[in-house]
Amino acid sequence: MNNIEKVFESLKKNNRKALITYSVAGDPDLDSSEKIIRNFISSGVDIIEVGVPFSDPMAEGPSIQLGHERALKNNISLPNILDMCSKIKNDFPKTPIVLMGYMNNFLSLKDNLFKELKKNKIDGLIIVDLPYVESEEFLKKLNEEGIDLIRLISPTTTNERIRKILTSSSGYLYYISLKGVTGSDLKVSDELEKRVSEIKNQTNLPVVVGFGIKDAETAKKMSVCSDGVVVGSKLVDEISKHSLYKDNLLKENLMSIIGELREGIS
Amino acid sequence: MDKENYDFPDKDGRFGDFGGKYVSETLISALDQLEETYNKIKKDKAFLKEVKNDLETFVGRPSPLYFAQRWTENLGGAKIYLKREDLNHTGAHKINNTVGQVLLAKKMGKKRIIAETGAGQHGVATAAVAARHGLECVIFMGEEDIERQSPNVYRMKLLGAKVCAVDSGTKTLKDAMNEAMRDWVTNVDDTHYIIGSVAGPHPYPQIVRDFNSIVGIELKDQAREVFGRYPDKIIACVGGGSNAMGIFYPFLKDNSVDLIGVEAGGSGVKSGKHAAPLSDGSVGVLHGMKTYLMQDDGGQILSTHSVSAGLDYPGVGPEHSYLRDSGRVVYESATDDEALDGFHDLTKTEGIMPALETAHALAFAKKIAPNLDKEEIIVVNLSGRGDKDMANVAKVEGLSL
Repeated sequence: MNNIEKVFESLKKNNRKALITYSVAGDPDLDSSEKIIRNFISSGVDIIEVGVPFSDPMAEGPSIQLGHERALKNNISLPNILDMCSKIKNDFPKTPIVLMGYMNNFLSLKDNLFKELKKNKIDGLIIVDLPYVESEEFLKKLNEEGIDLIRLISPTTTNERIRKILTSSSGYLYYISLKGVTGSDLKVSDELEKRVSEIKNQTNLPVVVGFGIKDAETAKKMSVCSDGVVVGSKLVDEISKHSLYKDNLLKENLMSIIGELREGIS
Repeated sequence: MDKENYDFPDKDGRFGDFGGKYVSETLISALDQLEETYNKIKKDKAFLKEVKNDLETFVGRPSPLYFAQRWTENLGGAKIYLKREDLNHTGAHKINNTVGQVLLAKKMGKKRIIAETGAGQHGVATAAVAARHGLECVIFMGEEDIERQSPNVYRMKLLGAKVCAVDSGTKTLKDAMNEAMRDWVTNVDDTHYIIGSVAGPHPYPQIVRDFNSIVGIELKDQAREVFGRYPDKIIACVGGGSNAMGIFYPFLKDNSVDLIGVEAGGSGVKSGKHAAPLSDGSVGVLHGMKTYLMQDDGGQILSTHSVSAGLDYPGVGPEHSYLRDSGRVVYESATDDEALDGFHDLTKTEGIMPALETAHALAFAKKIAPNLDKEEIIVVNLSGRGDKDMANVAKVEGLSL
């Protein structure tokens, strides 16, 4: 059983739901982003999604776009990020780390990518612009290294497509809550809840919900029908208000956001 | 390359290894719908008749094939002919595509049109067809381009479009495309995104090529009539590459015709300040396609430089990447200075003011024509007119209007 499976099994046993955070590696700088992630883990975050900054983050709303821009000002590259993740993993080996980013940055390491991911103990990848149809070869190489390719399913994904996606999925499924970019306004609806339970009925994999979850109330609602929630823009927004992590206020504020969310969903 | 059996894109939307559909999951269903609709109607007689009628009565096709006699004499070599896409309604080849895509949008029941634009020509061509069909229209344009192409911004507004200034990233065409994608993902149910080049995810490179290939199809007829044969060389500028694909595509299997694409060399390909991914780039994934890109070692897209906003793009249509690697098309580049020289040359000797984008193709024709035999025939795709560039040219040359 891999780390991601273990986390969800233990959550299930305790009748809890996963809290997953997204923050951008290198935002506002690499050291600070490492400290931020360490604090997320210490505050009880179950899975860490690490944003790999890209010059052209097409699926991101303004908050996360700016996070990518801040990180790129520091010339952050994928090898730096892998190094950071490896250090975190040394202290927190059981907490899954999933890299989330765009295909072009992952392609930059060419065939070394898969070995490097393994070496630095990365548990999974989410590639925003790698849909199911383009992913066959990539998936094979990831699976050879025991790394999960976390699939995204959106409100526009047809049932036929969902069935196909499920045939080659592992780790967990990421349901995109809305038609839009990250950080858009999410309106929780019966339809959304119905859709998540429909997907859950077709698979044994955990289904988490992300995009637009910014407060404890929404997180709570979404966690009832799913196996967990992803929070990103809200955290990246908070990080943007503080230039460096030595700012204790940022630490306090992030911890209080995490605390509220944790309370909301568990 | 097996020229006889050239049949791209394949069923996966690929041109060899290039192309594909690298987009977020939310857009897949819209792309599938577009592909399905396009495949259904591209052979539908009623639809083709409607497109043909619009090309004739709204755009003003066919565009003439013009002999640049004085310029030819001045250069003292091959005969230079111009395929006059600048005479189309709205002043460039871009309208060939928007006329077709807006009809596609209507077939799919979409009520709202969005587009990205660099030089503003595609934005104007989109705004014009949206106005004609009574559809809501939003154009995304980088802040830097809004500044260098202000007459086109006002034209779009007069045509009833909303122009959204994009201030992220490099504030140019690539960022406008990112923003259009973000809008599309948000409004995917009622919105059709009219991509303006042979770029983006499948099926766009195919659709935009097909709608623009009227240029090459007409040229075949005109060449037979005027020269009694096909030209020896066809030259077109390449940013995303739609005017080039439009004029090249019908000639791909005619091996006697040399096809030459000219990229924006900016301050020179060796300077690194350019927009010539086929000349000095590497393969990657951007805007839904696998293609040659200008990028750094970490896969970050580099900012480009060109005097012409329409060529200021770090990628290129995937079919061009394939044609480059297969050797069927040769890709060259022209610098800002060479393009400006071509711009002035044509304006002064032929009384035709070309777009700065087009001027790159003219610059390359000027370079090779003197060394060619007088019996040889070059056709340059005169993809657009240059009125929009007057203020920019004056600024570059230190004049104020």
